[in-house]
Amino acid sequence: MKAIFIVFGQTLNEPVLDILDSEGVRGFTRWEETFGRGSYKGEPHYGSHAWPTKNSSILAVVQDYQVDGVMNRLRSLNQKAEAQGLNAFVWPIEGGL
Amino acid sequence: MKIYETAVRKPVSTILIFIGAIILGLFSLNRLSVDLYPEMDLPALSVLTTYAGASAADIEQNVTKVLEDQLNTVANLKTMTSSSQDNMSVVTLEFEWGSNLDEASNDVRDVLGRIETYLPDNVDKPMIIKFNSSMIPIMFLYATADESYNALYKMLDEKVANPINRINGVGAVSISGSPTREVQINVDPQKLEAYGLTVEQIGQIIAQENANVPAGAIDIGSERLSLRIEGEFPESMLMKDIVVSNINNKAVFLSDVAEVKDTVKTMTVEETINGEKGVRIIIQKQSGANSVEIAQAVRKALPELRNTLPPDVKLEILQDTSKHITNSINSLTETVMYAFIFVVLVVLFFLGRWRATFIIVLTIPVSLMASFVYLLFTGGTINIISLSSLSIAIGMVVDDAIVVLENIVQHLERGARPKDAAIYATNEVWLAVLATTLTVVAVFLPLTMASGIAGIMFKPLGWIVSITVVVSTIAAITLTPMLSARMLQFRASHTYKGMGIIFKPIDRILDKMDNAYAGLLTWAVRHRTTTIVTAFIIFVASLALLQLVPTEMFPTSDNGQISASVELPVGANLEQTRTIAHQLGNRFRELCPEITVLSISAGADDQAGFAALFGNSGVNTIAFTVVMDDWSKRKEAGLRGMEAVAEEMRKEIARYPEVVKYSVSPGGGGGGMSSNTVEVKVFGYDFNTSERVANALADSMRTIKGTRDILLSREEMRVEMQVDFDREKLARFGLNTASAAMFVSNRINGLTASQYREDGEEYDIIVRYGEQYRTSVEDVENIMLYNNTGQSTRLKEVAKVVERFSPPKIEHENRQRVITVSAALSGAALGDVATATAEKIRHLDIPEGISVAIAGSVEDQQEAFTDLLTLLMLIIILVYIVMATQFESFRMPFIIMLSVPFAFTGVFLALWMTGTPLGMIALIGAIMLVGIVVKNGIVIVDFTNLQRERGLSINQAVITAGKSRLRPVLMTTLTTILGMIPLAVGSGEGSEIWKPMGIAVVGGLTFSTLLTLLVIPAIYSAFGNRQLKKERKANRINA
Repeated sequence: MKAIFIVFGQTLNEPVLDILDSEGVRGFTRWEETFGRGSYKGEPHYGSHAWPTKNSSILAVVQDYQVDGVMNRLRSLNQKAEAQGLNAFVWPIEGGL
Repeated sequence: MKIYETAVRKPVSTILIFIGAIILGLFSLNRLSVDLYPEMDLPALSVLTTYAGASAADIEQNVTKVLEDQLNTVANLKTMTSSSQDNMSVVTLEFEWGSNLDEASNDVRDVLGRIETYLPDNVDKPMIIKFNSSMIPIMFLYATADESYNALYKMLDEKVANPINRINGVGAVSISGSPTREVQINVDPQKLEAYGLTVEQIGQIIAQENANVPAGAIDIGSERLSLRIEGEFPESMLMKDIVVSNINNKAVFLSDVAEVKDTVKTMTVEETINGEKGVRIIIQKQSGANSVEIAQAVRKALPELRNTLPPDVKLEILQDTSKHITNSINSLTETVMYAFIFVVLVVLFFLGRWRATFIIVLTIPVSLMASFVYLLFTGGTINIISLSSLSIAIGMVVDDAIVVLENIVQHLERGARPKDAAIYATNEVWLAVLATTLTVVAVFLPLTMASGIAGIMFKPLGWIVSITVVVSTIAAITLTPMLSARMLQFRASHTYKGMGIIFKPIDRILDKMDNAYAGLLTWAVRHRTTTIVTAFIIFVASLALLQLVPTEMFPTSDNGQISASVELPVGANLEQTRTIAHQLGNRFRELCPEITVLSISAGADDQAGFAALFGNSGVNTIAFTVVMDDWSKRKEAGLRGMEAVAEEMRKEIARYPEVVKYSVSPGGGGGGMSSNTVEVKVFGYDFNTSERVANALADSMRTIKGTRDILLSREEMRVEMQVDFDREKLARFGLNTASAAMFVSNRINGLTASQYREDGEEYDIIVRYGEQYRTSVEDVENIMLYNNTGQSTRLKEVAKVVERFSPPKIEHENRQRVITVSAALSGAALGDVATATAEKIRHLDIPEGISVAIAGSVEDQQEAFTDLLTLLMLIIILVYIVMATQFESFRMPFIIMLSVPFAFTGVFLALWMTGTPLGMIALIGAIMLVGIVVKNGIVIVDFTNLQRERGLSINQAVITAGKSRLRPVLMTTLTTILGMIPLAVGSGEGSEIWKPMGIAVVGGLTFSTLLTLLVIPAIYSAFGNRQLKKERKANRINA
């Protein structure tokens, strides 16, 4: 099992959920509003006066075979809408309930 | 879920709610009546008291003064004026605007009830008369006839007046100048004396003969029949055969002592229309009825009414006040349409997207509809004020939608899906949108609190703009995102394909403009001291310019009507009056080809009612009514405007030495609003002294340029014949003054003996001396008086007939005797003439006990201007508060507020360049500017702050912000400016009225925007750098 942490500009909400659905990912946790900024480029998403945009974040724990599919499709979504600052991180999960 | 999210997720509900709102608006629009101005009934009451037989001076002392002393206590009373004339006292109470007249009239009634006992015994019960604008006639018809002239009244009454009265909303239809039938018994005094008869006896006999008496019933067999005596004359001429006396067993018939004439009343008024003898039909509306609809209905009914009349009777429209209303409103509606088109073009120009433009423009009808609903519910009308408010609102309602849509587009460009972009982009800006709306409301809502006459103009303006702007904000955060989610797609930039090709040059122009502005801004920020100082100098210079801009109350508009009144010396009879009237009438028609209808009313109809009560009317007065073609038609034909024609008429009247007083009022005078007069009140108890001062003043006012028709309110002393009874002789003879006076009155004025009935109509039977027996003083002196025992004596034995100057009408204002000197204006501004008049008054030698004060429109103007300035202060404070809370800073709103003075500079400049006087309407424009100008400042300062927060240096932030906000600022400003340009350059009928507002807004906004774009960044950077230096200094000390 792997955990995928996806952070993206709020407006990508629907396409990201679509990807999870179409890749057969059932379980996830979503934070409607999160704030942050990218490591290299892009605008910060602070929900403030200067930087009014906000992020949403999703933490999904998926089967190993699902990771590539999800990541590929997220990559292509990011290419289409780079300004939304979509990012995804994968790490292994040791266990759960 | 937030409202915008709901709207995007539920498009069907959203669209249906707005469609419902539009339908409700259209429904309201359909029901609204059309008028020229909002209803502005002067809150005034009159108390009319008649005291038969009392002279003006008696009335003043015993009636008017008593009433005034007590009525002075009524609440909300503003001014109290009175006029005391023979037999009658009129006290007029004017209340503060907005007072409840019903309450006031109750108060007045209470006072009257309390003081009734203090009034002389023979005084009639005082009458309260309420003023109402519906008393002003809305339409005049005229009828001319040849053979049927004598029967005209009855015919018109039955076949025209009655059907018109049945039209919905028509209040009263009266016929003026028509002959009324009466049966005259003209007795020969000598014959009467010879037979030992009196006028009273004749009257009594006629009354007794002309009677139907029911005499009960009798039973004949099994039937019961009623018994009646039908004594009424079936034909008027049968009266000749009445036996009035029996002498030596020989009957004396009425025809032996008198002449029986079935004829028309002696006319005291003659109406001619275009030279033909005619009759005027006056149509008044019910309070609150729609003048335009009534006029339309009357017009529609006319052809049918004509068919019922004999062929020689011509029935035409003389004057139709609704025509001017319709024309003005139509031309203003056209203006609103142009404003709409301009706004659409501006949005399209800047956005370059058809769909986006459609979404934004859709907010216009939605928000405008809301104002129609408001108007319907508050009983408002479609009028000049409400329509110009709409035209102002059009440019402002798109602003919020533009901000929202722009942000949505930005998100789309960053790759968001339309639905998400719509929701999240709206989420980001909705608070800012709300804040700017709040500033606009902070400007316009206080306007609804204006009092007085200004309140009547501003209330609808304040409400309409506030409501439309609030509704537009609601639409901007619901309808706009919803439609954007459905209709917008991501498109990187223009493809310049197909129709898009036209955007290619536009984009190039916009880019060039951006760069040029950035260059200019960089210079301005580097040389900020120069920029700020220059701007300051311009502002101070513009204050000097203000001295050159004349002031006025309301502009006059050419409605193609002129009314003129001419007064001949008191004592002129109808014959003389008629001659002069004809001569003048012919000259007018020769001199002024503009005149299409000229109606002349020579003399005064004693039944004219209100006109006779409150105006100076008598046999010696002539009233002219001139009707011309619409101004636009006249302009095309190269004919003159209303003012020029009026001037020509004045010149002509002035050539007649017989004329003692005259006034020519272009616009018909009735409008009240459009009349600009300077009035000077001369207060003083002594008649002679105050009259001398008033005359001197009138003479000096005549020398002021632009004054016309200088009039004194006090009438000339009047020559009268008075009968002075010797009470002692009278008493010895067994008569008193009242009974003796009755004898005189019955013989000269006539005794109404009875009514002659024919076809259900009643006509008076009047007994009096034949006309040839009442033409000289001797005739009066020879009147035979009888006492109870039947003894007779001639009037000259007990009385003297003398000629006297009777005291004039005595007028009061606030319980002081007053003479009003009034001047109409022609081609001069109210403010200038008022200043010149004040100057003349200063040079006047004013004796003790006399005081002089300027009043009239000037007084109203000053009151209104003071009101507005107070409001302006309130507005500025409110706007400051709104902005300070928005920026959480004292300094930012201050910087933004600095653009307000430049708006005023622009207003003065525009008014001065176009030669437009500063009036109420222009002032409205100036006040509105505060809201619009401040909005621009907010956009720039807000974005500069944002750049600073993003870490740019002050100067960088200022320039970046300026460059990126140039388009939005220009766009919202241009929508407003272009929305107002049709108002400013309008040439339609009535455009004179709202032109000043258009000029003020266009001038002020253009000028202030240009300066704001440079000065605000410069000031921002100056403030910012000072702050920075301070901080650095503080840091150094700390270090």
